[in-house]
Amino acid sequence: MPVTENDSIVFHGDLRQLLGKVESGEMIPKLQASHAPMCKFFTAYYVISGIRHVVPLVHGPTGCPLYMSDFVRTRECCEIRGIPLEPTACTALDESHVIYGGEGKLLEAVKEAYFKYHPDLIVILSCCCSGIIGDDVESVAREAEKVVGCRVLALRSEGFGGDFRSGYEDAFRLIMDVMEPPEKTMKRTINILGARWGPPPTEFSWDMDEIERLLALVGIQVNAIIAGGCTVEQIKHAREVELNASWCYDWGQKLGDLMQERFGIPYSRTGQPYGPAATKEWLLGVATPLGMEAEALTVIEREMREIEPDLAYLRQALSGKTAIIEISEFPGPIRALSLARMASEFGAHPVVINVHPYTIKERMPSIRFLLESGVNPEIILTQGLFRLGSFRSSKETEEELEAIVQEYDDAIFFGNSGRFPPCPVVNLTLMNPAFQPQYGFVGIKNIAALVRQALENKDLPRSRLFRGMLYGTR
Amino acid sequence: MEQGNKAPRTAPSPPEKCTDPYLRCAFNGAAQTALGVSGSALLAHSPQGCEYLVNNAFTSQECDYMETVTLCTKLCVDEIVHGGEDLLARTIREAKELPISALFVLSACGPEIVGDDINAVCETLQPEVKFRLVPIECAGFRGSQYDGIDIALDTILKRLVQGSGKKIPDSVCLIAPHANANPTWTADLAWVKQVLTRLGIRIVATLTHRTPLSEIERAASAETSLLLSHDAGQKAADYLSDAYGIEQICRGIPLPIGMTNTQRWLTALGERFDVLSTAEDMVAEGERMVTATCRRKWPMARFLYRTPAAIIADATIGIPLVRFVTEEMEMTPELIALYTSQRPVRELLEQELKSLNLSPRIAYGTDVYRTRSSLLEVQPRVVFGSTIERHAARGLPVAYIVEVVRLMRLFRMINREYFGYTGILNLFECVQNEWIIGWRSKERRYEAKW
Repeated sequence: MPVTENDSIVFHGDLRQLLGKVESGEMIPKLQASHAPMCKFFTAYYVISGIRHVVPLVHGPTGCPLYMSDFVRTRECCEIRGIPLEPTACTALDESHVIYGGEGKLLEAVKEAYFKYHPDLIVILSCCCSGIIGDDVESVAREAEKVVGCRVLALRSEGFGGDFRSGYEDAFRLIMDVMEPPEKTMKRTINILGARWGPPPTEFSWDMDEIERLLALVGIQVNAIIAGGCTVEQIKHAREVELNASWCYDWGQKLGDLMQERFGIPYSRTGQPYGPAATKEWLLGVATPLGMEAEALTVIEREMREIEPDLAYLRQALSGKTAIIEISEFPGPIRALSLARMASEFGAHPVVINVHPYTIKERMPSIRFLLESGVNPEIILTQGLFRLGSFRSSKETEEELEAIVQEYDDAIFFGNSGRFPPCPVVNLTLMNPAFQPQYGFVGIKNIAALVRQALENKDLPRSRLFRGMLYGTR
Repeated sequence: MEQGNKAPRTAPSPPEKCTDPYLRCAFNGAAQTALGVSGSALLAHSPQGCEYLVNNAFTSQECDYMETVTLCTKLCVDEIVHGGEDLLARTIREAKELPISALFVLSACGPEIVGDDINAVCETLQPEVKFRLVPIECAGFRGSQYDGIDIALDTILKRLVQGSGKKIPDSVCLIAPHANANPTWTADLAWVKQVLTRLGIRIVATLTHRTPLSEIERAASAETSLLLSHDAGQKAADYLSDAYGIEQICRGIPLPIGMTNTQRWLTALGERFDVLSTAEDMVAEGERMVTATCRRKWPMARFLYRTPAAIIADATIGIPLVRFVTEEMEMTPELIALYTSQRPVRELLEQELKSLNLSPRIAYGTDVYRTRSSLLEVQPRVVFGSTIERHAARGLPVAYIVEVVRLMRLFRMINREYFGYTGILNLFECVQNEWIIGWRSKERRYEAKW
């Protein structure tokens, strides 16, 4: 550990030590204005909109649903993922509703939504306004259900009412109310839990495609991807599967645990399938409880044979190196920690940079699970992470990253090309479809290709233009 | 222009309880306005989700993240129950070292309902900070993004404009350039500034886009005001008129999109500032340039003669487009759906329709559902609108969706104006590209051998 805590390094230790500091309240950011992730309403909406033919009816002013309409429904769903334009319905609360209450309007809005959109499910989402004025959305939902031809549920998702994670979890919990008592057991069939962001399977469908490909090779069916494009009918039958699994332990964990607790459906606790060991674990974690271990081992053996050149390359390329993995820019802390495990598997020493304490706090169960699985990488947090504002700190974290990289011999950076450290850069952005998925065996091939690009082209000049754009000219 | 007697068919506005809106809330509009002031920062007194409305405004005003800081108090249950004034004060103190001239403090729905007094907090903290604190009460429930622009302009003018000082001859204050659904509206503003410069008219202040605080302080010295939106800003123009005797010019004239509208608008400016011959020269040069360019480039819009068209946009772009689409492009507007429905918008549109002897179906204050229903009913073949209509029109016999507002699919690195003469070419280009995409072969009849 050549880097020591100083003016720019706020924490240097391992994941377990960081978790301890977060739990004891030592690492809570002191500046109120730094780092603002999504609110509870947004994340609840993400999950609910992942059900096909649902009307998420926002009980609030027009600002709350508009982000969803533009970003999630139109851009992500229609433009990128072939989903038809679905409604982003809203009661458009105004000042008079704030004073006199909006329940009457909400009831009429539910009826109107049913008449206009013929949905299979209506979910009322409350936001700050309706939450504070005390509109009883649950009662309205019960009342409305008597007069429309579909289920009507209500979700208290006021933006101030919890962190972004609580929105996901409350929405998943609500979805359980749609699940009906099982009439049969669907043999060799699972649900995949924890998807979100609208009707497509998950944020980036390639990873889910790889999971489904592997499951199909073993002979395992998927009933529903909850909530990533699943139908209400699939949710109703969700209790008939033999097992639940997750595309990402972190997001599936809550719903998996709840379904196990309430319905007795076992949940496969495995991390993200990054690298050969985690991919094997993931597939066996699903196949073994279904009695399909032998089939899974056959698939794993065949797939591993096919990627043997890539595995050999990664072993040779990464052995003895320091893998600097940046979380703040790489999409998601859990992916970064999964990648740290993969880097370690190929002989590199992983050092994870800037996993925000807020992120640790929000993901305690997953972080504990990763620690139990033996993932405990070296962690460095820099001062830039805690600075005022969300943009200026980026320049500081870049400078801090560059300084940290120089402290390590034979470093290789895993993050994205928006960083300019003085070492090879493996561009793992999920915004480049050319090298997706990153999960599973195909993911190993893609990551091997990205590592090859980084190492073989390390001496090529970086873009002064992009650097100036991101961090200003020197 | 022929005066006709046809009455436009205005779609009855059902009392909608469930709407799928095009417009964001007042908080977003206020943020757009505040972020147009350069050398300032914005503090959202709100839960963290509202920060995304600020981010959207940040993009719309083309702020530079190396220069402009946005902050958020990230209110949680505690502040909703016990009040968030202490947290607001703490956050302002955290920001006290920022090198800015003003900090705009915007309150969202939550703190306004629970009664946080952002004015009092700002007043108390003002002596502690070097920059101006400008509280704007702009909760989302106060209305649409256009109401938010009006609210913010009202606050900014009342708090920041310094009343004394002489009038500057032949000068103008530009109002609400950002209340414009052209995704690169800053090019429209740039065109206006260029035209005014050529006419010798001095711009005292722009409310707001990259506007230094000092410009706003001097706004009262403008002789005239020029409103650059049909959707917002009229209240600001009225206030400047009432408080400082600033005369609003080009009122009641559609904004300069298309040859006739541009001619009318430039002529009105020329007459007011006694530079009519310069204005006429600009019209002649501009029309020559557009005609010559079209002769060389051959816009395919000419093949769409009297094709039934729909215009679905804000009033700022939508109303002037009516004449442009009818006259220059020779299509027939059969559906006009505007995001807003204020009386001046209705009057201006109806005046234009009467003048053109058109009787399209009209939907004021449209939402996505009404738009789709109207498209289904009218069945236009060309739609001037946004990416939303591209998807909302699926399954309908619409041949071309010309995306001119709220682009999500197309990308512009260079800002393109719709105002003025180059604006005409930019709009022709939008039609041309859509026409080309419409004609592109989707399948191959056979595989090549190599």
